[in-house]
Amino acid sequence: MRFEEELVELLPRLRRFARGLARHAADADDLCQAAIERGLKSRDQWQQGTRLDSWMYRITRNLWIDERRAAGRRGVHAPIDEAATQVAGDGAAEVEAGALRGDVDSAMARLPDEQREVVMLVLVEGYAYREAADILEVPVGTVTSRLARGRETLMHLLGEAA
Amino acid sequence: MSFDSATVAAFVDGELDDLTARRIERDAESNPELAAEIARHRALKQQLAAHYAPVAGEPVPERLRALLVPPVAAVDTSIGTRREARRTPFAAIHWGAIAASLILGLALGLRPWIPAASIAEADGTIIAAGPLAKALDTQLASNQPSDAAVRIGLSFRDSAGRYCRSFESESLNGIGCNDSGRWHLERMTGGQPDADYRQASSGELAAAAAAMMAGDPFDAAAERQARDKGWRRR
Repeated sequence: MRFEEELVELLPRLRRFARGLARHAADADDLCQAAIERGLKSRDQWQQGTRLDSWMYRITRNLWIDERRAAGRRGVHAPIDEAATQVAGDGAAEVEAGALRGDVDSAMARLPDEQREVVMLVLVEGYAYREAADILEVPVGTVTSRLARGRETLMHLLGEAA
Repeated sequence: MSFDSATVAAFVDGELDDLTARRIERDAESNPELAAEIARHRALKQQLAAHYAPVAGEPVPERLRALLVPPVAAVDTSIGTRREARRTPFAAIHWGAIAASLILGLALGLRPWIPAASIAEADGTIIAAGPLAKALDTQLASNQPSDAAVRIGLSFRDSAGRYCRSFESESLNGIGCNDSGRWHLERMTGGQPDADYRQASSGELAAAAAAMMAGDPFDAAAERQARDKGWRRR
């Protein structure tokens, strides 16, 4: 199958992943667009026979991280115990209220990026720990510990509201 | 026996080895606390999956699709058109003209004082020869002279992965598909010197091409790239 065709088939899933990372639909599609452009540009680096999905997820995630770093928002990488009790920036009250309503978007917004991406890859996209570790280029142990913390926060926020 | 939270999570994620998974299942039957913990993890997973699932079900915005599937304005390659083209037996209509062209071309090929024939026969199939073969090999639709003897239309790949190109000339129109360096002529009709007829014939040729192609017709860049690789299958 041609590279482009395979990528077209992947788009619905890639958009879902991007939505989890970027939250707002327009931002998520911008992220997808940047990822597709990057993918097309560096297609020579993709090795035929390896998984195109993992490769594209990695590109998407790395672009997102770059963008977040460039934006330099504060509070993003705060430790979880702080993030769970305080939300930096504007809209904190809304986020709080949303989370208490069992709003998944708001609850996810409260996770640090490195937990949110693991939650998306494993719990939503259904990747194995090993595969998620490959995409994120971190050890499996890092995936499991971030996942555990992300999960606890989400269950705390969503579970009590249910 | 008790299981820590990470093990319960790994169980729900399908990451445990069979032995441990069976143990935890068995234990959950008599351990309501463990059963509740498993249910809590499962509920979260289901809630997240259900929340994000609709995104994957949305139609992909055109601006994203367009990056991968360049729209080709001149040709309708929609599924409907392809089906329509498949229903119409292209060959049946034109066999008379094709046969005439073939006989003429083959006959011309045998006479060295006549300009080189544009078709030849090899291993029982009709292949492009002479100026037609040269045009299929080298000419780009994107920059061909308007008075070219052979006009290249669409270039694309068929379901077998072969490169194919539609062409028109005064004596012959058709689609050639490259197999081991030779252009096998898959569809042929007699050429139309008259402009009005030519236009009608172009439409049919485009429809026939649309029915054959896997994916979309090449844009200028893809056409050039395929030519530079000698139209060889990867």
